[in-house]
Amino acid sequence: MQPLRFSSTESDVESEVAVITERPWNVIVWNDPVTPMTVVVVIFKRIFGYSNNKCTDLMLTVHHEGRAVVWSGQRERAESYCVKLQVAGLQATVERDA
Amino acid sequence: MPGKLFARRRDGRIEVRLNDAGRGAIREVFAHVLAAERDPEHEWHLSLNAPINPSSDDDDPLASLTRQNEIASNAELSIMTLKEQYLNDTEAWAWLSTLQVALRSTAVVNGLLSDEKLETCAPELLDDIRTMQQFLFELAACF
Repeated sequence: MQPLRFSSTESDVESEVAVITERPWNVIVWNDPVTPMTVVVVIFKRIFGYSNNKCTDLMLTVHHEGRAVVWSGQRERAESYCVKLQVAGLQATVERDA
Repeated sequence: MPGKLFARRRDGRIEVRLNDAGRGAIREVFAHVLAAERDPEHEWHLSLNAPINPSSDDDDPLASLTRQNEIASNAELSIMTLKEQYLNDTEAWAWLSTLQVALRSTAVVNGLLSDEKLETCAPELLDDIRTMQQFLFELAACF
C-alpha cells in the first residue's frame, strides 16, 4: 500500500525553519463609524472561517482600538485576504510585523 | 416574522421581502458601485481602490485587478438578481458585499471618518446611511 502522507526530508525541515524565522505579514482591519458590528463579524466568519467568539473578539478590538490584526503569515496570502476584505467593503491593509 | 426585510428559509435560500421602493433604493446603490468601478472619474472610484500595502509605492497589479473584478462581479450579480424573491448564498453574499462597499464609499467620500462627523452630517445623507445600515444589518442576520 502506498503511504498516505509525505515523510519530511532534511530540505523540508530547513525551508520550514526559514519560513518560521521570517517576519510575518499582518492583515489589519481598521475601524470606521458606519459599518454595523454584525456585518464585520459575518465578514470575518465568511473569509477566515473563525468561530463566532473569535470573530466577535476581533470586531470589538477593531471597534475599541481602531484596528486589529486579523491574520498573520505569508505575504501573498496576507494580500489575498486583504483583497477579500476590501471586496467585502471593509477597510483593510497589510503590513510587515514589527 | 413580519417586518423583516430578509429572512433565511429552511431550504437555505434567503427571502427578499423588500417592496418596490426598497428594491429601487438598492438598485441605485448597486448601480453606483458598478459605475464607480468602471469609471475612474466617479466620486467613489478612489475609495474602491484603497492601498493594499501602504508602505509600498505600488500594490501588486494582480491583487488590484482581482479586487476590481470581484467588486464589479458582485455588483453585476446583485443587479441581475434585483427582482428575485429568493437569493441563494452566493447572490446574497454579493448583495451584502456590494451594499457594504457602497456604505463605506459614501462615508469616505463625505469625510465621515468619526462618530462625531457622522452625527453632524446633513440629515439627508444620514438618512441614506441609516437606510443602507438597516439593509446590511438585516441581511447579515441571515448569515
